Amino acid sequence: MGDEAMLSGGFHITDQELLLAADGELPVRRAAQIRAHLAACWDCRARMAEIEGTIADFARVHRQTLDPQLPPIAGPRAHLRAQLSELAAKPDATPWWHFFHNPSAALAAACICVAFLVAVPGGKLLFRHSIPRGGISAVVPFESGTVPDRNLTPGATRAVTIGDVCSMAHEEVVRAVPTPLRQEILQEYGIVNARAGDYEIDYLIAPGLGGTEDIHNLWPEPYTSPTWNAHVKDALEEHLHQMVCAGKVDLSTAQHDIATDWIAAYKKYFHTDRPLSSDLVQFAGIS
Amino acid sequence: MGILPTDAINALPYPAAAANLSATPSEIECEVMNLFEQFRSPLLRYVLSFGMSVHDAEEVTQEVFLSLFRHLQLRKSRRNLRGWIFCVAHNLALKHRYASRRSRDMTASDWTVVERQFDPSPSPEEQVLLIQRQRRLLAVLHALPEEDQCCLRLRAEGLRYREIAAVLGISLGAVSISLAGSLARLIRADGR
Repeated sequence: MGDEAMLSGGFHITDQELLLAADGELPVRRAAQIRAHLAACWDCRARMAEIEGTIADFARVHRQTLDPQLPPIAGPRAHLRAQLSELAAKPDATPWWHFFHNPSAALAAACICVAFLVAVPGGKLLFRHSIPRGGISAVVPFESGTVPDRNLTPGATRAVTIGDVCSMAHEEVVRAVPTPLRQEILQEYGIVNARAGDYEIDYLIAPGLGGTEDIHNLWPEPYTSPTWNAHVKDALEEHLHQMVCAGKVDLSTAQHDIATDWIAAYKKYFHTDRPLSSDLVQFAGIS
Repeated sequence: MGILPTDAINALPYPAAAANLSATPSEIECEVMNLFEQFRSPLLRYVLSFGMSVHDAEEVTQEVFLSLFRHLQLRKSRRNLRGWIFCVAHNLALKHRYASRRSRDMTASDWTVVERQFDPSPSPEEQVLLIQRQRRLLAVLHALPEEDQCCLRLRAEGLRYREIAAVLGISLGAVSISLAGSLARLIRADGR
């Protein structure tokens, strides 16, 4: 059924579309159809008035509760002006990529890129025959993002006893990070356009070990790392939780070890240099 | 949702800023001060709604405009500066809140302000009804998920759906659904 037929055939407009119309967020043609329908339909017009009235009430309450708290602008204005003058007096921090705004420089850079692209495949062909099979596979490369930036994520704990930790429900031990905090952490680490399956926003010190939901205790841990990934750390957290509750490790030692270097902690508590195959979920298998 | 147009929402009121690609530091300074005059109050209201003190909110607002200066000095994108300003303020406010671990207790302070700010002209009975109505709206507002509250407050500050979506990192459809759902709750609370 077309929109016009729907509007003239006894149907009504949804509240969501009425709001879009009130907010001027509809395409011109659809907005005209809605206006025509409202002219004819008392029911929808009454609902539109209701929506407009509530918007007006909310806007009034929003202003009335916050406006009295706003200090006069003069002081902050002068303060900002002074800070801006100070910033403006510093040398212009032109980024390196503005080099390419110069056409001749951009041409030279393009030539270098072309030469590089031609040279690299040739070099790869030469090297392919000089590296023995299996010669590199035994080396575990450093994987970017597998350990947090200590400055951004030093770890944070709350005051808990072993009794508290060991009586925690599973949902508390494995707690989801709220979306706004997740976004803030990704931004802090300079990660843009991350897909849901790329990273786990992980607790450096897990809640099950007394870690808190604090930006200083959370970091984006890649699922996609082939070796030391989020699944491996999850296994360590569970193992440490069990060891603490079994009295085999002090809670403070577990917190310290996992916060200092979780990979070293895994090696220490699992007595292995590489993740156990049962803990290692290859990224290719993650949906 | 296919009902949100791109042409209308993209038409933001900064054509002069978009053309100003080779501004000197003093020109950028003037531009930032003009934007400060224009957006300081809306931004401060939005940041205050996160429950921080006026002093902290003012500091966050100053930081936003200093960041804007650096942003413009580095000749970065001038497209939709209003959205950019609110996005930076939103992130700084969140960061500040988590860093200070301050518990949010807006409800009590809002209600206190509501009681102080009644219009003196209506009769005492009307004043009481007005305060009760505002309390109901605030109670519903505070019961909403934070993302819905942010959507409502950003819209109240004049941001278009596309800008709200960019600030909160959600889709246009999510903004539309959030606003419609929140208004429906406010209408029900108001007994309209």
